Amino acid sequence: MTQTKHTYETTFIVNAGLDDPQIDAVIEKAKEAIVKNGGEVKDLAKWGRKRFAYVIRRKNNGFFVVCEFTGPGDIVAKLERHFQLDDNVIRYLTVALDKKALKSRIRPADLLKQPTADSPPPQVGTAVPAAPAVPAAEKSAPLTQPSH
Amino acid sequence: MPPRRMGGPSRGPQRGGFQRGGPQRGPGRQQQQRKKRTCRFCDSKETYIDYKNEKRLQRCVSEQGRIIPRRITGTCSHHQRQLVVAIKRARHLALLPFVSDAVS
Repeated sequence: MTQTKHTYETTFIVNAGLDDPQIDAVIEKAKEAIVKNGGEVKDLAKWGRKRFAYVIRRKNNGFFVVCEFTGPGDIVAKLERHFQLDDNVIRYLTVALDKKALKSRIRPADLLKQPTADSPPPQVGTAVPAAPAVPAAEKSAPLTQPSH
Repeated sequence: MPPRRMGGPSRGPQRGGFQRGGPQRGPGRQQQQRKKRTCRFCDSKETYIDYKNEKRLQRCVSEQGRIIPRRITGTCSHHQRQLVVAIKRARHLALLPFVSDAVS
């Protein structure tokens, strides 16, 4: 009897002090943890280095990754256990996506074409309106977080 | 003058019965207490307020980082609850601060 698959979204923060290949390795391990527990990765976006709003573990920025996946109900606990054990993952947040969220969430793919502060968040279905063609260096977004 | 139970001098139209409201209500009602503001999330028909949109969420949060109450922003209760959840998630991920330094 197959279990029902639910859609989840997890955002986790990798230590930004690592090199790019090391960060990729951490992400690959997370993906493996999902697959090993019966899940399937639907979408993954490397949101990039962002500045924290407050200091975490004596660091001011981190590498954010957003991953959407489906899986049986027990997958979340196992994935979070994996994050707990991995020293390079500083924070994580897993959210179950219900119908409303599935319809109008910001997909990981859309995150990389982050709009500016004034435009509304991209809506599902409609083509993302021409956010100004920011070059690939978008990931290393300038320190946008004002401190006050 | 018949004795009045409402306390204070008589103000405004002489209405029998209990007069509600603060002491400043007058017949002209010059104060802007009740601006008919609609919920901006209802206007844009958003069904899900995403925590990843920190720029959008920042507008719903004060300079000190506190969540602005809905009687000031005018959001409906439904969206305010979703908004609060989104803000708290964003705070967990350090996209928004718990407390930020207010000016002065």
